[in-house]
Amino acid sequence: MSSKQRQFDALVRGYSADLFRYAYWLCGEEALARDLVQETLLRAWKSLDSLRETAAAKAWLITILRREHARLYERKTPQFVDVDDMDVADSGESRAPDAAGEEALIRSAMRRLEPKYREPLVMQVLGGFSCDEIARELNISSAAVMTQLFRARQKLKAMLSNTHGEAEVHELR
Amino acid sequence: MNCVEFRRQLTVDPRADAADFVRHRAECARCAEAAERALEFDRALRRALDIAPPAQLVDSVLLAQATEQRRRRTAFRRTAMFALAASLALVVGVVGTRVEATPLSTQAVAHIEKEAFVLKGGIAIDASEVSDAFAKRGLRLDHIPMGVSFVACCPMGRHKTVHMLMSEGDDPVTVIYVVDAHATQREEFTRDGWSGRVLPLGAGSLILLAHHATAFDRVERAWRGAFES
Repeated sequence: MSSKQRQFDALVRGYSADLFRYAYWLCGEEALARDLVQETLLRAWKSLDSLRETAAAKAWLITILRREHARLYERKTPQFVDVDDMDVADSGESRAPDAAGEEALIRSAMRRLEPKYREPLVMQVLGGFSCDEIARELNISSAAVMTQLFRARQKLKAMLSNTHGEAEVHELR
Repeated sequence: MNCVEFRRQLTVDPRADAADFVRHRAECARCAEAAERALEFDRALRRALDIAPPAQLVDSVLLAQATEQRRRRTAFRRTAMFALAASLALVVGVVGTRVEATPLSTQAVAHIEKEAFVLKGGIAIDASEVSDAFAKRGLRLDHIPMGVSFVACCPMGRHKTVHMLMSEGDDPVTVIYVVDAHATQREEFTRDGWSGRVLPLGAGSLILLAHHATAFDRVERAWRGAFES
């Protein structure tokens, strides 16, 4: 196996799951997310030589995925299904029933969040990106990112408060 | 940092670790309590977003990449072969190498298909007409076989020929002498309803074509005699 192939295998095994989660919350469709991950990694393979630092791989892949999504978005406009919970498996293997219900509510609220708020929040929570890193990726200012994150959490809180009265979990006062 | 600034920052990023943020949390019990609730929500949010990827995701990506690689390699090989063929054709064209792309037999059949009218046979023409045709091709024949009913100097592909027809009863024989291609070996063939024979003769090649090969031996002897006399 060539070193390039080994590097690619490591990328696929190391980042496929993260890319899938990111893609899912970006496009809202599991099948589409899977296609996006595949297209992203195939494009990554073609330009693997341009990846200089392994530490930058995740951000690099996210950039490719966002471009692929934008390309796809030109042809198709997927919509998040506004249902209480879609048939999407979560990765928790033994979740308490109340916790599972709470996460379902959060997922439902996330789907209803506008993309401009949802995307930076997903990058922050799932990707662990800082405000500056998100700003670079989204090509907006750090201040704008902070505003979007602030509003994203506020909106999420409001939706969850309206959904069920238990403010304890999502109270951000 | 005051409480309002802290709460604002807390809403932006509960995991912020700036010095003034950390200091305020340590100093303000109510804000520390709010920070704990925000972190709890953040953990719940993370769990909610952490959906499981399809089981075969990694395998399907690696398979797609391997398939793409094979496809590209195949396309590359095809392109390379095409380029090689084109290069060879160029070399043949430029250098003039006598590489025969199509066998003489095939070219001869294709040639007479285009000139089917000459197969009707007819009355024998004067031997001088045949001699003149060969002379145009740079060959002098002192003895011309009897029974030639048609003669023409035809191009056959890129070859120069003397194209003749010999009346042999109901089955005339087409005789093509290729001036500039020397067959490497004798060949009998049947193609597209034709029987044929190719043989080296003199500096060129003699090609016989007919519906039946029954007269070939006799015609061959006649033309061998013409060239060897």
